[in-house]
This record gives sequence, structure tokens and C-alpha cells, in this order.
Amino acid sequence: MSTSRRNVALISAVSILLEAALTNTLAWPAAADSAAALHKAASGYSQKWSKVSVDLPVSDAPFPPGNGSDIAGGQCLICHSAGMVLRQPPLTQDEWVSEINKMRNAYGAPLPPDQIEALAKYLFSINGRQP
Amino acid sequence: MQRTNFPPSQPTRRHFLRHMGGIGMMGLLGESMRRAMAATPVELPFANGQRDLVSNFPQKGAMLLQRTRPPLLETPFEVFDQGVFTPNDRFYVRWHLAIIPTVVDPATFRLDIRGHVRHPLSLTLDELVREFKPFEIAAVNQCSGNSRGFFSPRVAGGQWANGAMGNALWRGVRLKDVLDRAGVEAGAQQVRFNGLDTGILPQTPDFMKSLAIDHARDGEVMIAYAMNGEQLPLLNGFPLRLVVPGWYATYWVKMLNDIEVLDKPDDNFWTTKAYLIPDTPFANIAPGEQGIKMIPINRMLPRSFFTNIQDGALLKVGQTKVVRGIAFGGDAGVAKVLFSSDEGERWQEAQLGRDRGKYSFRQWDIPLRLASQGPHKLKIKAINTAGIAQPDSPNWNGAGFMRNVIESLSVQAA
Repeated sequence: MSTSRRNVALISAVSILLEAALTNTLAWPAAADSAAALHKAASGYSQKWSKVSVDLPVSDAPFPPGNGSDIAGGQCLICHSAGMVLRQPPLTQDEWVSEINKMRNAYGAPLPPDQIEALAKYLFSINGRQP
Repeated sequence: MQRTNFPPSQPTRRHFLRHMGGIGMMGLLGESMRRAMAATPVELPFANGQRDLVSNFPQKGAMLLQRTRPPLLETPFEVFDQGVFTPNDRFYVRWHLAIIPTVVDPATFRLDIRGHVRHPLSLTLDELVREFKPFEIAAVNQCSGNSRGFFSPRVAGGQWANGAMGNALWRGVRLKDVLDRAGVEAGAQQVRFNGLDTGILPQTPDFMKSLAIDHARDGEVMIAYAMNGEQLPLLNGFPLRLVVPGWYATYWVKMLNDIEVLDKPDDNFWTTKAYLIPDTPFANIAPGEQGIKMIPINRMLPRSFFTNIQDGALLKVGQTKVVRGIAFGGDAGVAKVLFSSDEGERWQEAQLGRDRGKYSFRQWDIPLRLASQGPHKLKIKAINTAGIAQPDSPNWNGAGFMRNVIESLSVQAA
């Protein structure tokens, strides 16, 4: 063990003792102080890397049926699952037009301009509010 | 509540789970069964606020599903009552772009530092750990749009309640040390950060954020390789994440693999056109107000929350209950947390828990005894060490950023 490593270990041990001494009297469960996590981080920390390989869940939620649902399915789902649209607050048709234009202009959604209105009408029909 | 036309999703299974005791029964099932059945509905307190509580994301426990792809996962608020640090498997998740590497090999990963520097670097993870002095800081990571669902009038975007935030002990290296090794050349203006994620469409701007060179070299901005003593969950940015203490999470670039020193201001979309706020106190404007100067979002504001009592709670008259919660100061420490049980007429100072550094959550508590029957309004307010207090009325802006109004609860005493 190098001198610097030993010093780090010593400092860690001291900080754990301090942590115990300073444990406050708040009305939180002892575990709620997450002291364990801090100890883990402070005491003899050594970074061991593990390869990470995961699977991300796939959304199979469709857009509700209706006039224009095919446009939504063909366009919106390129970049994000339907849930992002379905969990929005109800929006006016003009607000839906703004959202569609944001997707076209900022993020490059390949929606032809002549389909903007049809898509906005559909989104308004499934999640709309009057102005 | 506005009427919407969504079919109620899978009520039969939910009722079944609820009547069978939900979690308790699920504990008896195998992992695959549990994952398949894990969605239970939670009602967030705003229109169209039903969210599934899901456990099918890798390295994550039960989270509120805001969006599957790219993932937006909210921390259920009760987690904040369990500790001052948010566990990694409950820490919220927010991605912009849908192509997220699902396999990251620490042996081949490289962090590049290039641009306006004398010695471009391509560092392995082991080099980063071994060759730079470790640095640790406790800091709150909060989405710019945390609490957007409470905006009134409502605005489009991720419809979060208050759980798009978390506090962790970050360990890694100072960005300054890495930049010094590369040797920043005179005339550097900004430092731009890019991660491994990309968009589906070639025309979607790659997600990058920039900081001014002096901010990047302030000795606090860091590159984290560990979070609460463990390597980061992939969805929180494994293997490396930029940590920008006191600033909104949009700057905390995940899966950071490229740092470019620029000799001119960054003109990329995410820096110049996205994440803009009105240049007004608390980023507040009147709904519909036009012609306001917009600037990039930056420092966080103070906030405080109740964690062991919910809206609508029933309390016993004359009995003492210790009310508790968390607070943070934004880009400064927590000076005071003030509590009121009479709609803000009188304020009492709450007791503060251990100070873990000015960017961390700070626990608070205070005994509450309601002397009269009926409804009572409880309020909690943080004031930071720069003297900024949470405002009485909510801010508003078109993007739904930076909400930090005083939190209120209605309770009943009987």
C-alpha cells in the first residue's frame, strides 16, 4: 500500500468515527441518514469496473384509434414512445400544432407540411381542450 | 379534471393486485412474474396524472413511468423520506435521444479531451481513476423541468411531479485537473460536453451542453465515476457523468465521452435554442407574455419538501407529530427552513440535520401540535445562504422550468 493510499484509508477511518459522533438527533430513522452509503464511499474505496450490458424495455403502447392515428404511429414513434404524447396535459389544437412544429423544426421529424393539420386534429381529439 | 379519451389501462389486473395486497403478494412471485406484473397505477395530483409504477428498467427499482423510450423515470416521492442520499436504483432518469448504448465495456471506453488544448487526451477509465486525485461532493441533481406537471396553465413537456431530482455523493475527478493535463490554450471560451447517446434521425441535433471556461475550471465541476459508492447505473450515465454542482441537470451530461474546448461560444442547438429561460427573477413571466429576453438556464433555486406527511393527512388534535422533510439551497447552502401551520401567518425555524455540503439535500424536522379541530394548511420554506427565499406564489414560463414555490399541504385535525 502506498503512503498516499494509507493516508486515504486513515482519513476514511477518522471520518467514519466522526460521522458516528456527529449523528444528529433529527427524528429520522437511523438508516434514513444513509450513513451506510457514505461509509461505503469513504472507507477504503476502490473503483472496480464491471462491464454493463442491459436490455431496455420496449413500449408496445399504440396510439388510440381515430382519424390520423396512422400519422401519429408513423411519425411520433420514430423518436419516442406514445406515452410521451398520451401523458401530456390536454392541449388546444393550436398548442398541438406548436408541438408538431417543434418536432419538425428542431428535431427533424419528417412530417410533410400538408399533414400537420390532420395530426393536430387527431391529437386534439384524443387529448384536447378548448381554448 | 379534464376529460380525456384514454381507455383505463388494465383495471382488472390492478384491482386484483390491490385486493391481493400488492407488493406483499408480488414478493412471493418469481422475478420474471414480478416484472411482468409490476405495473401499478399511481395518481399524480394534476390532470392526466396517472402513472404506472414499474420495475422493469435495468438497475432500477420501482419507478414512475413517464416515458419508455427514451426513458423518463420519476422517483416516487416516499423515497425522499428514507434518506438524505437517493439510492441509485431509485434515482430518476431522463434521456433526450433514443439511441442509448446498452453495452458499455470499461476496458475499451475512452474519454477524449480535445479542441483548443495543447495535448489532446484519450483517457481510459483506469487512467482517470489512478492518475488524478479523487474528488467527492454531495450534490443535488434536479431536472430543469422538475414539477412541470404543477404549472398552471399547464405546459407541454415531461409531466413530472416533484420526483425528477435526487441527491448523491459523487466521486470522480475535478474537470479542472483533466483540463490542466490537456493544457487549455489561451483564448478558450467554452467547454462542450458530449455523451454516447444519439438521435434516431440524422437531422436530430446530438445532445451536447457547454459551460464557460472559468466555470469548467472552478474546481467543483467534476467527472463522476461513482455515485453513492458504486459505479453509476447505466441509465444515470455509466461510466462517466459530468457533475455541475448547483446547476440544473441538463448540464450533467451522461455517458460523457467527449470534452471539447472551444475558442468561440458554442452554437449547438442544445446550448443556444433549448433550455432557455426568461431573464427575469425566478424565470417568471405572465402566461402569454412576449418579447422577453431569453438566456440559458443555469443556477438552481432553493426548495423544501415535506416527506413524512401527505396532502389530506389526518392528524389527532392535541397530539404532537414530528413533521420532517428535505431542503436544498440551489447553488448555495440552506440557511434556514421555516415551517408554518397557519397558512404562512407565523413561521417557525425547523431543526436542520447534518450539513453534508452546500449542494446536498439537508434534512429538517419540527414538532407539530394542532390545537383545534378542522382543516389546517402547512407550509415549508427554505432560505439559502445567499438570502434567496422560496416565493409565495408559483413562477410560470412556457417551458415549465425552475418551479420552486413554497410547498403547501392541507391536513385535517380531529
